[in-house]
Amino acid sequence: MEVQSERTEYRQYAIEEYVLSEEPFYLPLKDEVELFTAAFHQNIPVLLKGPTGCGKTRFIEYMAYRLDRPLTIVKDVTGQSEGSANHGLPLVTVACHEDLTASDLVGRYLLEGESTRWIDGPLTRAVKAGAICYLDEIVEARKDTTVLIHPLTDHRRILPVEKLGQIVEARDGFLLVISYNPGYQSALKDLKHSTRQRFMAIEFGYPSRELEARIIQHEADVPDSLATDLAKLGEKVRHLKEHGLAEGVSTRLLIYAGRLVQKGIPPRRACQVAVVWALTDDHEVQRSIEEVVSSIFE
Amino acid sequence: MSRSSIRRLVGRFEKELAPFSTALAAEFRSSAEVACDLLEPEEVALWAEDGLELARRSWRSWEAASEYFRATPQVLPLIGFVTMRQWVQRGHDLVEQSSSLAAAYFRASPDTLPHLSLSQIDDWVILGQHLYKGTWRSASLAVQFFDMSPALLSQLSLDEVRALVRFVDVLAERSYDLAAHCLSATPTSLAPLPPQDREAFIRFAEILAYTGWADARSYLEKGPGLLSQIQASQRPRFLNLTREVARQEGRQAFTFFTEGARALGQLEGDDHPYLLSLAEDLASRSPVAAMEFLKSLPQVLVRISVDDLHHLHAFGLALLEASIEGGKAFFRLQSSKSDEVLESLSSRVELSRVAEILRMYCKALTGSNVAIHSADALAEKNIGWVASERPSTEGTAIYLPPAVDEYQDKAQSFGVYKVYSTHQAGHLEFGSFDFLFERPGHIFPDERHQLEEKRGGPKKALTDIERFFDLFDDRRLASDLFAVVEDARVDRLVAQEYCGIRSIYRRIQDRELEKRPQPEDLPLRQAFLENLILASLEGFQRMRWPVTMLGLMRNALGLLRGVQQPQATVEDSAEATVRLYSLAQKVPNIVSDLEREWQRLEEEGAELPQDMDSLSQALTQLMQSGQEQSYESPQPVEFRGEFKPELVQLLMRLRQEKETRQTQASPPALSPEQLQQLMDKSVEITLNEMAEGDLAESSALFLANLLKETTPQRPEKRLPYHDGQPPLGMPREGEEGELTCEPNYSYYDEWDFRASDYKPRWCRVAEYSLSEGEAQFFEQTLTKHSSLVSQTRRQFELLRPEMFRKIKRLLDGEEFDLDSVVDFLVERHSGHQPPGKVYWRRNKVERDVAVAFLLDMSASTDEEIMKHERRYGQDDFDDDPRRYFSWWMSRRAQDMLTPPKRIIDLEKESTVLLIKALETIGDSYGIYGFSGYGRENVEFYVIKDLEEPFGQRIKQRIDKIAPVRSTRMGPAIRHATAKLDAHDAKVRILFLVSDGRPQDHGYGRDRTEKEYAIHDTHVALLEAKRKGIVPFCLTVDRYGHDYLKQMCDDIGYAVVADIEALPSRITTLYRRLTE
Repeated sequence: MEVQSERTEYRQYAIEEYVLSEEPFYLPLKDEVELFTAAFHQNIPVLLKGPTGCGKTRFIEYMAYRLDRPLTIVKDVTGQSEGSANHGLPLVTVACHEDLTASDLVGRYLLEGESTRWIDGPLTRAVKAGAICYLDEIVEARKDTTVLIHPLTDHRRILPVEKLGQIVEARDGFLLVISYNPGYQSALKDLKHSTRQRFMAIEFGYPSRELEARIIQHEADVPDSLATDLAKLGEKVRHLKEHGLAEGVSTRLLIYAGRLVQKGIPPRRACQVAVVWALTDDHEVQRSIEEVVSSIFE
Repeated sequence: MSRSSIRRLVGRFEKELAPFSTALAAEFRSSAEVACDLLEPEEVALWAEDGLELARRSWRSWEAASEYFRATPQVLPLIGFVTMRQWVQRGHDLVEQSSSLAAAYFRASPDTLPHLSLSQIDDWVILGQHLYKGTWRSASLAVQFFDMSPALLSQLSLDEVRALVRFVDVLAERSYDLAAHCLSATPTSLAPLPPQDREAFIRFAEILAYTGWADARSYLEKGPGLLSQIQASQRPRFLNLTREVARQEGRQAFTFFTEGARALGQLEGDDHPYLLSLAEDLASRSPVAAMEFLKSLPQVLVRISVDDLHHLHAFGLALLEASIEGGKAFFRLQSSKSDEVLESLSSRVELSRVAEILRMYCKALTGSNVAIHSADALAEKNIGWVASERPSTEGTAIYLPPAVDEYQDKAQSFGVYKVYSTHQAGHLEFGSFDFLFERPGHIFPDERHQLEEKRGGPKKALTDIERFFDLFDDRRLASDLFAVVEDARVDRLVAQEYCGIRSIYRRIQDRELEKRPQPEDLPLRQAFLENLILASLEGFQRMRWPVTMLGLMRNALGLLRGVQQPQATVEDSAEATVRLYSLAQKVPNIVSDLEREWQRLEEEGAELPQDMDSLSQALTQLMQSGQEQSYESPQPVEFRGEFKPELVQLLMRLRQEKETRQTQASPPALSPEQLQQLMDKSVEITLNEMAEGDLAESSALFLANLLKETTPQRPEKRLPYHDGQPPLGMPREGEEGELTCEPNYSYYDEWDFRASDYKPRWCRVAEYSLSEGEAQFFEQTLTKHSSLVSQTRRQFELLRPEMFRKIKRLLDGEEFDLDSVVDFLVERHSGHQPPGKVYWRRNKVERDVAVAFLLDMSASTDEEIMKHERRYGQDDFDDDPRRYFSWWMSRRAQDMLTPPKRIIDLEKESTVLLIKALETIGDSYGIYGFSGYGRENVEFYVIKDLEEPFGQRIKQRIDKIAPVRSTRMGPAIRHATAKLDAHDAKVRILFLVSDGRPQDHGYGRDRTEKEYAIHDTHVALLEAKRKGIVPFCLTVDRYGHDYLKQMCDDIGYAVVADIEALPSRITTLYRRLTE
């Protein structure tokens, strides 16, 4: 929902009303699009697994856009209700962190004048609006918080709002999607089985060299050969995972490198700042990757 | 005077002389005949009178007189009568002191005087007199001097002899034997030296006598040999410099000399003047630094060129001005500054420094785990590779030369490594070793199977590549061709995949091309291969081939171009080999004496095969023109290294089989006989020391090595032994149980407070896992201290934080705090402006502590605790031995019943209690012990590693804590710090428990010096602090306060005066530290 005054240049939306206006670029790796579509229609919550920067968020945006349906806006407390029927499902994204509490998700009372006012949290809004609610990096959230989503993930599809003494039924189109990166979490930060087993899981890997080259080429708007070289670099650097690197280089970083080159930065330098230095602080590992870079790029 | 009167005169003297000795008289008579001819009669009388005078002087002075008479005939013509009187006068002087001295003087005169001017005679005598001190030993030394004078003076000037005498004189004060020996040895040792060096040599000897007389003999014996290593013109200069150093330093003169000479001996003679001038510059500031500089030159010049030396020199000189000690350490190469400067000046790249980078680089390229080793390591394994500096791979590791130093700067030298490893990694990445006989190629149609059919079907072969090579009669030729083709394919793929490396690849190829032989100098078949190699290196303009057979060569080059296409596989290389082999077979290996027309071959499109008729015509013509030669493999291409696909495939197969055999119990598919067969026919295998006679033996060894290579790597057992015994706590040989793994070695710098710099990579810490004993000790201690255990446990339980603590009165939070809200509203209604702190939030509080306990396991912990007290109680016995004895007996009886407690026992008990407490609280903790001897052998025992869970094995290890050797704290602290640093925790503590000051061999100037060790330990603790680790020192040495104050400075420490209280103190202290 656009709020435009004469002065402000930014656009501001109510969280559940944010809808993508253009189709995000996404190249399917395997059958994840079909799987997700099926899960959506069957109301099966989805767990996206995969290393950072491999396209999980982009995928969910793409799916939200693709799963087209007429949009109805819930009239909420802010009173803003109108909206043009846009493409796609609204997408509510919550980045989880270790201090994320239940009230951060569900809602809380705010003090207003002499009285209190209840304000819905993002999850509640998504449930009411029938949006896709995407909880990014779910393992970072506290365990007591993750339990909260359980009633939403099974046949009940309800969200109990304890403090109001209410239960909100999920609207059609509501889908809970969580993401999870099994790589770097310590043993302490593993997903509980009671949570895990409520989701179907789609696993994401890094795209193949050819596919990644196409992605880079599109996203960074660079020539084919450069995109291929960047993808090659990605492939080589990922060999170093667990051998000096905790994580392989993300497609995102490769795209950044491509974009820098597109703006006239020499490729070796671009890779140094966008790949090598972004990946590690260990000088020896840096040096090794730089050697790979200097082998691939002139 | 008439003849007869002279005869009378002579007769008279003879009669007078006769009573002394008939020999004297006889001597007189024979000399008199000559004397009478040369002298006036009056002079004869004087001459004879002098002799008589001499003989009269003392009891045995007639001997001197006799020598006098005997010498006369020779001396007289030399110096004339007037001087002769002086000469005799000196003899008179000498005879006063000792007749034998005088005798020796006269005896030596005839041969000595020719070397002296008339005025020098006195000086000479004075030298002899100088040595005479009135004792018979000094007399014999002086006699020896006179006796040797002819020999000495023939080699030395009088001044030099004077220096020699001083040298001998100083030695004589210490030992006459040594002095005599040196004196007698001088002429022989001087003989090989050219005259101009002798003076300096002797002068150095003189200084040596003052500063290190004991080395005099070695100097004379070895000196000339050492000196000869130095460039001729520079020897006096070197000696003078060394002498100056020795003079100023006052010790170690000979050491300076030998070390300096040896060092220079290893270097180019032409550089000596320059090097010495640099050293002389330093000598004015610090003589020792100058010598250190000379001494470390060979090491330095391996890394940097002479032209860059002045940078190092200037840097050191500046350092020297600031601090002499710092400068010395710099030139001794024992400071990190010297390391840095060298590294920045050096263009040499050492494998050890870049191995890790290259390893990750290759890992990135190939995606498999590739180890990087020095090429020597491969030859040592004796599995078919021989010692060479060339790169190679055996499938799991890449072997590279230990250092590259061919270019002006480091980057280029590193580039060489990069090309080497990229090519080898290319073999792995592009599947050179994945050859499958059955798999068709992408470019060439299959001819392998046809060929095999023709040769009677498949034979038994261990590997696919072996089966492939079995297709050829001349295996060497086939193998060489395959290597050329496959290398060409890999190089092309590398160039295509990695654009960035092309330029340096190109440079190295060009350099390689310059080294290649001219094809026209080679026998024809070898020229054929050479042309292929040149083509693969893109050296087209160097290719030459007889014009009559141009078509054949073009055909071959076309085949090569085929495998250089991007989609070509190793199978295509094989197909190309089949075709090239048949072409090469057509080419006779002859050196033609015909004037053949060698023509340049240009890079053109492939031509059709030459028609057979013209080819055979050309061939017959050639065959007649020259002798068939035996085929030799082409000169290897340096950067491509060694390519041994047959061996690598065999190794890979062996490895694979080992793995499958481990999982399923199937019998080995490979028999030694099969391997033997392969070995007999393969041309790739070259064994070390393969003598003709013991072929069978060495091949058996080879097989054993091969099999060993493929077993899962278990490092050899290597433990530090002292006095032939493994240290306590380490398993003895033959002791049952697991083999102890080779320790992990880490290197740490050490702080030299004198130089205010680190000594780089000075200490080697070997990390062992402590062996396991009985678990009983653990349980026993717990029972013994049960009350203390429960007490500490309760205290520690209190420390455990609540996970989520409710924090109230916040401006923002999870929820309203109802009480606050009520208060808030009440205040609002009563007209106040209350702050809006009405929320509460649960805060996550985590205790995140990691601690490393470092226990002193030095030999001193073996000390009984009672002994401490006994030392103070001893006075009671005064001098009454009986009372002491009875006390001692009772004491011993008591000891038999309850063995005395040692410090280490208390350390062990403390460990047990600590573990119990720490397990309660849930902190991650590591327990380590340390000891060792010398900087190379710092032992670090792991009792429990930080990440290791507590269990039975840990309990058993505690039992094995035992006193070992010295206490080099610095490196142990650094190692523990490194462990903690790698561990992620909010609070990290290093807890050091010791029984005294740090002490070790070489930990300071000598064993008694304490400063050095304390400074190093202090710096090590500071390093820990800088890394965010809290160090804490606890000592049971009741006199610990004095040095702990200095060692710990602003770091926490405690002294446990009552040693028995250690277990309870240690837990209390830990609790306080982390509260």
